[in-house]
Amino acid sequence: MQRLDVSSMQRYSPNDEIDYLVVGVGAAGGVILQRLARAGFRVAGLEAGPFWDTERDWVSDEKGSHQLYWEDMRITSGSHPLTFGANNSGKGVGGGSVHWAAFTPRFHPSDFEIYTRDGVGVDWPMSYWDLKPYYELLELEMPVAGPAWYPWGHPHGYAYGPHPMGGVGNALIKGCTSLGIGVSIGGPVAILSGSRNDRPHCIYRGFCIQGCKVGAKASTLITHVPDALHNGAEVRDRSMAHRVHLGKNNRVTGVSYFDRERNEHFQKAKAVIISGYAIETPRLLLNSGLANSSGTVGRYLMAQAGNVVLGRFDELVRQYKAPPAHALTEEFYETDPTRDFARGFAIQTVGPLPISFAKQMMAARGEWGWGMRRAMMDYNHWASLGVLGEILPWADNRVTLSDERDQFGIPIPHIHFDLYDNDKKLIEFAKNKTEEIMRAAGANEIAQEARFAHLVGAARMGSDPGTSVVDKFGRTHDIANLFVCDGSILPTQGSANPGLTIQALAARTADYLISQGTSVFHSDQRDLTDPPVRRELSPPGTHGKGVPRLA
Amino acid sequence: MAPNDNSSRERLPIDPATMRPLPATAHPGYYPGFSTLGQQDFWDAATREVVRQRVEETPPIRFFNDEEARFMGIVCDHLLPQDDRDLAHRIPILSFIDERLFLGKTPGYRFESMPPDGDAYRLGMQAIEQMAQRNFDRNFLALTWREQDDLLKSIHDAKPLPGAEEIWERMPIQRYFALVLQDCAEMYYAHPWAWDEIGFGGPAYPRGYMRLERGEAEPWEVAERRYEWSVRPDVWVSDPKEEDIAAHQEHPPAGQGGTH
Repeated sequence: MQRLDVSSMQRYSPNDEIDYLVVGVGAAGGVILQRLARAGFRVAGLEAGPFWDTERDWVSDEKGSHQLYWEDMRITSGSHPLTFGANNSGKGVGGGSVHWAAFTPRFHPSDFEIYTRDGVGVDWPMSYWDLKPYYELLELEMPVAGPAWYPWGHPHGYAYGPHPMGGVGNALIKGCTSLGIGVSIGGPVAILSGSRNDRPHCIYRGFCIQGCKVGAKASTLITHVPDALHNGAEVRDRSMAHRVHLGKNNRVTGVSYFDRERNEHFQKAKAVIISGYAIETPRLLLNSGLANSSGTVGRYLMAQAGNVVLGRFDELVRQYKAPPAHALTEEFYETDPTRDFARGFAIQTVGPLPISFAKQMMAARGEWGWGMRRAMMDYNHWASLGVLGEILPWADNRVTLSDERDQFGIPIPHIHFDLYDNDKKLIEFAKNKTEEIMRAAGANEIAQEARFAHLVGAARMGSDPGTSVVDKFGRTHDIANLFVCDGSILPTQGSANPGLTIQALAARTADYLISQGTSVFHSDQRDLTDPPVRRELSPPGTHGKGVPRLA
Repeated sequence: MAPNDNSSRERLPIDPATMRPLPATAHPGYYPGFSTLGQQDFWDAATREVVRQRVEETPPIRFFNDEEARFMGIVCDHLLPQDDRDLAHRIPILSFIDERLFLGKTPGYRFESMPPDGDAYRLGMQAIEQMAQRNFDRNFLALTWREQDDLLKSIHDAKPLPGAEEIWERMPIQRYFALVLQDCAEMYYAHPWAWDEIGFGGPAYPRGYMRLERGEAEPWEVAERRYEWSVRPDVWVSDPKEEDIAAHQEHPPAGQGGTH
């Protein structure tokens, strides 16, 4: 098991004016810290949660893993209120990448231009081809295991071999194949199928979203933070940022935060990068009153349709074995003119453990009392497939501040979420298609749970400062030394799990900052030239590895 | 407080062929002889300690007062009945719920329409009591088991018996029921005795699983041995029928779990 020694970590004093202060050391924060440190900048990250000792702190247990999730209070409303915590929000070094299921499909080229193609949502201020080199880098840095040929979007292959199938993957393969639907098996997932360096391979225990004690599943805690520390970055854990300060000349000067004893500190920095994800990033911007001249901070929040279709089989499935994420189809990803809605969806394996499954039986079938006990005694006969459907960005799906305050006295976020016509039609179609596949796999009973997965948006990027918060490199339109680097900058979300794209964008933003040298620290000039791709910034032993060698 | 000890023979599940009660056992379910705890030597130390505590150290009741604890204990016995378990092998659901509420642990969100969880529990008890008084002229705790089950089913179905309209206007009835039932389910299915009951392999680090496909058992897991059981309809309604499930699926509420 890999161990992280933080005793020799760089420690800055609050009065040291560091170059970049990153708020949030999760999927994106971990990557950008690592890149900037390796390029020689003086960088520190503030992380609200702890630095994990995975062997001591993590357990192979569903109920015992709540500490991994962001469980500070959030108020949720709307026609389809989102749930948070275990569903989509991480806390601690590594953030959500600690408890993601680690599916890592790329976005399709079409995802970057859905307004042009379909007249819905908005185009990105960049194309797939701008991000492609960073997909290739991150797929090796995590690394991603998957098939040698992945046919959807921009077709590509994976350098590390696919995983063996569990019972749920078998159901997906059987159902899809009998209906003539293509299916990808054994990945793409950021889980090691073979040991690499000091990380062991997967042991197929199925507790991915409870944190991978094995160290086989990628999280920035083990993929990027160690290299960041090695190159002089500081990660200050249990540090809850609550205000970015604006100084003279419309430039930010640093961040106020509470330490573990709730003492308040101010860390000076020449530039600030917010990497708090789709709720905490807009919350911090709103609490700071910054970067919102467009009025779009908090708006265009997105979650993906995450309906789960459950199928009961006569034979045993034992869906707790193998990573929940191990097979998928993107056959329905693109807009199909024969359907009555724009955009599409993916269908993926999921593997609920008993508590999650009981909640599904409650929501999907109304089980309670003896009915719940009876349904649960059949746990091993059920397989679960998850829809991952594109919900479009809507201005009124948004994060605002509520009147209530958290344990630090910071206003807590209020999240409002409604579905619109295209979203509802897409969900209905996706649900029915997934049920059809489940039946074709041989299920004799079907149940369906409506829910949502992932969060992105709420500080979106765009070329127009009147309708977006940041430019294509994550720099806020309003303040030249304030950046956002995380899922909140996504203008649209496709039907791919966002983790890989979030990390690829972080690597691209890092290349941009490095190409700008020190000008970010004193100039308000906004250079939008694309930076060169710096493959030499990958953590050691990752670039160019794997068979076959790609990129 | 000990898990419920107010068992009665009429509440036991029955063999539908003979209509005779099935005796309470230490280990209901279709995996006789399966013991996740028996595998704990193959678990890591941190996991072993968390599960050991769960089994050996029942948290004291600190959030509910005595009367509330008695009341909620009965509600939990309807929402997740354990009459098929012998007294030594009942899972102290209420104690774990009390611990969550006492420590102020939340799942990380609250529906705007809902009061804080602890208040919701108390408001729910008040509603149940008012419904009992209005419809039966008795305290909830004085009702027969079937009457209690009927009353709670009316909440489950979101068609509440009259008596607590004002409370259900302040607190959406389906969200209230889901809150309590999800807590019951989380506490019950977190326990290794429940894992044994449903054939879940339990903690699996560092050993892992080796037999992934076709539902095969690991060498230390056991084969399924099913048996027929049901419950007496004159005592229980908390056992949805096929038509109940079909009706529910017409308008299912959104789920709240995290799976992907």
